[in-house]
Amino acid sequence: MVTVELYGLPRLRAGAERCELAPGRLRELLAALAAALPGLVPDILRDGGLSEHALLAVDGRDLLTDPEAQIPDGAVLVLISAQAGG
Amino acid sequence: MRSEARPDRPRAIACAIDHEIGREIGRMMGRVFGNFGQILLVDLDGDRVRAERQPLPESVYRECIGGVGLGAWLLLRFAPAGVDPLAPAAPILYVFSPLLGTPLTTTAKFALVCKSPLTGRICDGLSSSRFALAAKRLGVDAVVIRGALGQLSTLHLDEDPQRCRVAPCPELAGLSAAAVSDMFQRTGVASHVSAIGPAGEALVRYATVSNDGRHAGRGGAGAVLGAKKIKAITVRGEAVAGVADPAAVRARARDLAARSQGVSTDKYRRLGTASNLETFDRLRILPSRNFQAAAIGAARAKRLAPAGLASAGEHTRAGCAGCTIGCDHRYGGQRLEYETQFALGPLCGVDDPARLLAAARACDELGLDTISAGGSLAFAMECCERGLLDWPLRFGDDLVPWLARIARRDGPGDLLAEGTRRAAELIGGGSAAFACHVKGLELPGYEPRAMQTLALGLCVASRGADHNRSGAYQADLRPGVDRYHADPARAPALVIETEDHATLLDSLILCKFLRGAVPEPWREGAELLRMVTGLPFDEASLRRAVATIAGLRHAFNLREGWTLAEDQLPGRFHDEPVRDADAAVDAPPIDRASLAAQVLAYHRARGRGPDGEATDPS
Ligand code: SF4
Repeated sequence: MVTVELYGLPRLRAGAERCELAPGRLRELLAALAAALPGLVPDILRDGGLSEHALLAVDGRDLLTDPEAQIPDGAVLVLISAQAGG
Repeated sequence: MRSEARPDRPRAIACAIDHEIGREIGRMMGRVFGNFGQILLVDLDGDRVRAERQPLPESVYRECIGGVGLGAWLLLRFAPAGVDPLAPAAPILYVFSPLLGTPLTTTAKFALVCKSPLTGRICDGLSSSRFALAAKRLGVDAVVIRGALGQLSTLHLDEDPQRCRVAPCPELAGLSAAAVSDMFQRTGVASHVSAIGPAGEALVRYATVSNDGRHAGRGGAGAVLGAKKIKAITVRGEAVAGVADPAAVRARARDLAARSQGVSTDKYRRLGTASNLETFDRLRILPSRNFQAAAIGAARAKRLAPAGLASAGEHTRAGCAGCTIGCDHRYGGQRLEYETQFALGPLCGVDDPARLLAAARACDELGLDTISAGGSLAFAMECCERGLLDWPLRFGDDLVPWLARIARRDGPGDLLAEGTRRAAELIGGGSAAFACHVKGLELPGYEPRAMQTLALGLCVASRGADHNRSGAYQADLRPGVDRYHADPARAPALVIETEDHATLLDSLILCKFLRGAVPEPWREGAELLRMVTGLPFDEASLRRAVATIAGLRHAFNLREGWTLAEDQLPGRFHDEPVRDADAAVDAPPIDRASLAAQVLAYHRARGRGPDGEATDPS
């Protein structure tokens, strides 16, 4: 399975801290995430992709953008607010 | 959660009427709207004050806008070259802006500008709320204060310069700024007060100036007021600058207020910046134990996150005057934002929310910049850990007694009151390598080894390691940017872009937390200035003005002794890898030569010579 951890605004919108999804391409994963946590639509997830208000990082490191990227079994994705200011 | 932010309709109507009257007066006087075309020059000497108005040419407003831009222009002119920041001749400037006093949301702010006693370079902080609105009604665009008084006093500034006066106040010595403000309000002395706490009186090099519970925090402006023996400043005036196009301003104010309620500000409204901590821990960019690690682990991060803080004190929300966002999240009455939470929490090894809130409260009451206070204590903790100091101070300790010692320069507090750079010089033993500052200003709460565009931004920022004048952290969290390896070809331009954006907002002045609701800041900034001032700003002239402001800041620093050697990070960031919460290596250190090359490229891109020498900013 792929684990998606939610922080900040995504967590607030979803009302959940994590979600387990089947591995697959990023766009398939985001569709499954929208179905599992509908509160993420439309501010965090929109038109089958990420909105400008959110970022998704593999294990908190590299930001994912390619909708065709293959997300393997066991991956941990971190979904955060795009506004990083403090 | 209880919300304290609420609209103030009668005030909005009164404000609209004031602007119509101000516009008519402005038209008769032939001056630029939104500004008064003059400053108040205040000279102090012993127990006397002399105040006079001085006109400013219209070109200054075109070239420097207001806020930090106007402040840089004035500082360069009024600060004698090489002046000791704590000497009587060193000026301190309260600088207003064209948007201040309009009904536009998040504009109730002013800039506080001086030569920093911590860095010896330009210091330009912002503070917010009712004092800003009241001070602009003095009918000037800036107040320049020079000289010094003979004893601790209150300085009263009046719209009529002849009525400016000082009153000795030895009985206020040692009180917090909030206590002074409460006392003045209760006794009818003044409704709006800008004041220092005990740290300012003791000339702590990172003492703050406070008003309405807000603080101009970084760089030690509080010590500059303390050196002048000014405990508090009160203001009285009725002047109104007016705006060039009141109907357009009213319509834009409604539009901006509506936009400020959108998803781009939701994080600030609903969660506050304290929600960063858990996210930053997960991204491994949360500095902990004096930048020895970049995470504290999920369980500890959760304790210090908003839910954990709420268990230590009731969560309430408030905001600055005239703000429709209201990002001010409080726990048990104590305001807490991310930089304070990081500096007095993970940076010092503190993971108890009650202990963190107590330290934040102590800093506010004593008048200490939370980042520099936390940075100085974390540095001392590591010195103790390494046996360079024999003080009973360890990571995770209660900070409150130590903060009190710093604020009164009591015992070891006297050394820590000097900041990490000076402390490291005195302690020696190689401690400079882990004294985490740039130009003497302690680092904010982002791990530069894991955010290498930010690393460049910290090196080159005019006031030292600073996240408010350089938002380069935003660039590192953009798709397509490798935050572990800055691209030397792109990083300087990314840093300049974020610096210029910040300068624009800080000169207008608009709160940075509104930035997500202003997707085209140059176009909208020019529109706002046209409707408020009547001056023919467009995007190109605004970009030229912001470039001029960058040149003025650099010219000031250069005149005060800046060299390229200052634009660097301490050795730790080049010699030690980033470690996670379990001390495992997470990322390599920053390549020294690459960062130095980027610093040079940055100055070249700013149009400066090979040693960073300035071209004429005018
Ligand atoms: S968003 Fe926060 S800091 Fe900005 S003006 Fe509003 S309350 Fe003040």
